[in-house]
Amino acid sequence: MPGATIAVRGLTHSYGSGSRRLGVLDGLDLDVEAGGYVAITGASGAGKSTLLSVLGGLDAPQAGQVVVGGHDLHALSRNRLADFRRDTVGFVFQHFGLLDTLTALENVALANTLKGERAAVGRRKALALLDAVGLADRAGHQPAALSGGERQRVAIARSLVNRPQLLLADEPTGNLDDDSTGVVIELLESLPADQGCTLVVVTHDHRLAARAERRFRLDAGRLLDTSVPGSVADTTSSSAGSAS
Amino acid sequence: MRWRAAIALATKGLRRRPGRAVLTVLAVTLASALLTALLTISTTAETRVLNELAKGGPLAGIKVAAAQPDPAQIDQDNAQPGAPKDLDEAALARIRALPSVRDVIPVVSTRMLIVAPSENRDGDLVDPYLDTVVGVDIGSVPNLPVTLVQGRFPAAGSLVEAAVTEGYLQRFGLTRTDAGQVIGTSLQMAAPQAFRNGDQVNARGRWIKVQIVGVVAQEAGDGQILVPAEQIQVAREWSLQGIADDRFDTSTSPYTGLFVVADGIDNVGLVRNEITAVGYATSAPENLIASVRRYLRVVEIVLTSIGSIALVVAALGITNAMLAAVRERRREIGVLKAIGSRDRDVRRVFLVEAAALGFVGGVLGAFTGLLISRFVGGVVNGYLAEQGLRGVQLEVPVVTMAATVVGATVLAVLAGTLPAIRAARLPAREAVGAV
Repeated sequence: MPGATIAVRGLTHSYGSGSRRLGVLDGLDLDVEAGGYVAITGASGAGKSTLLSVLGGLDAPQAGQVVVGGHDLHALSRNRLADFRRDTVGFVFQHFGLLDTLTALENVALANTLKGERAAVGRRKALALLDAVGLADRAGHQPAALSGGERQRVAIARSLVNRPQLLLADEPTGNLDDDSTGVVIELLESLPADQGCTLVVVTHDHRLAARAERRFRLDAGRLLDTSVPGSVADTTSSSAGSAS
Repeated sequence: MRWRAAIALATKGLRRRPGRAVLTVLAVTLASALLTALLTISTTAETRVLNELAKGGPLAGIKVAAAQPDPAQIDQDNAQPGAPKDLDEAALARIRALPSVRDVIPVVSTRMLIVAPSENRDGDLVDPYLDTVVGVDIGSVPNLPVTLVQGRFPAAGSLVEAAVTEGYLQRFGLTRTDAGQVIGTSLQMAAPQAFRNGDQVNARGRWIKVQIVGVVAQEAGDGQILVPAEQIQVAREWSLQGIADDRFDTSTSPYTGLFVVADGIDNVGLVRNEITAVGYATSAPENLIASVRRYLRVVEIVLTSIGSIALVVAALGITNAMLAAVRERRREIGVLKAIGSRDRDVRRVFLVEAAALGFVGGVLGAFTGLLISRFVGGVVNGYLAEQGLRGVQLEVPVVTMAATVVGATVLAVLAGTLPAIRAARLPAREAVGAV
């Protein structure tokens, strides 16, 4: 399945109300072609996670248009949005987002379970993905028994179980040591080619950002293209993406 | 999400905080146990009280006398019969054919001379005496207001066995606790037959010897000795072959009375009216039973309310525990939504968790309640035994237990509805949880 294209126009998002209103995204534009690998950096509180939430349908866009894989997210109902997240998007969180009470295998199979597919099918897919991330032998372990790097690899396996067109990773190496960071970076980097999905990574990790085809910095609610050394463009286009 | 997956997720969710789950289940268990125990004890007490009122027979039992009804007394429980009126096969057939009549058991009796070769407690021989001996179809005894104190009923059709009442024991200065002393003893009974001897009327007897095999709690009709109906038929035929004699008071009615069973306590009045219309006097403790049932119903409502309040308090505990779980699991819920859970999927998981708490607590509570009521029953029976009274029979209250389990589960689901809705409405961005 080809990766999802992303087209964001005039995305505005804020928190709070009245005098306490805090603007986070301010008329942001972004274009990412299918199969692209984009990294977004920025200061803490700049709105990187908010942007990721909106792109992944976790949060509704307050103003502007967000079209992912042909889905206008503003037009989707809550149920359709849930289906969109399940079928189109895969998430990788900084905190891993694994359910403590489930084993690695069950965590990976969970997204498949939500689809209503048979448990045996889900387990088979999950085991194959765990094998792909080198954790087949840890399938029966609960997250507490895994290292940080292993947990993140399980989370990556889970994000791929429904073959998403778009993979969104929020600080995927934020809680990892150097060795684990290296493993996760290699794994993420291989996904656009191996899985054919579009990859958007929010990160503070320069090593991870440096591996992306396109890099943006989120500042004052807008994206600044930092892909070309020494240049910051207001309007940039490339094979991987463009932003303003 | 399929139900099976929701159940699996809910089960794992409960294991997340085992201490809290156990305490919540414990609260439901205690409330369910209280409800089950109170209802079981209440039902047993009701059964016992009504059984006492019906003297061991069916609640819907009606005594029919071989006499005309007194119109002024037909609505009274202990209506006095009017003038004698033979109860024959035709009357039996008419009454049996009445609507709402489930069973009709004929009762026959005759006066006989009793010679008990026993001494009373003071060592004096008991003089022979005339008494009414009652005969019934032994196979119908379970439907008669007669219960065993000790021993057994005579074998059906036996001409050599009899049961006696507590009145018989009292002739020898004995009480029901001494019932065992008369079982196995024998007595002789003579059916009298009057005959003319010149100018005089003499009597001769047809003697039989019977063994006492049991003691019954209630007076069997008007007499103190209960035998199979066949015994009385033979004695009556012998007595009726003689001439009439007021000393023996041998009635010409083929049946002394009938015991009619209506097809429900609510139809007793109707059946009594119909029998009155046929022309026979009736009596039944229907008014007393109705009155007692009303009081017992009030007691039952009060006890059920107490148990239900406890269950509601336990349900509030479920709500509290579930709300705490929702607060703690905001990120987990967000993750579930991020990977594609719909609101209804999340709601389902939390409702299943609530239902599981209620169901497990309900099942444990129902069985604990049964154990508590058995313990209470044992204490009560110990007291009754000391008083020389028959103990209570505690049956497994299957309906009460099932209702408790269902009630606890439904209440738990209701209690879990608010937390489940809250969980379902949590935004998916909880998975990220940051700006």
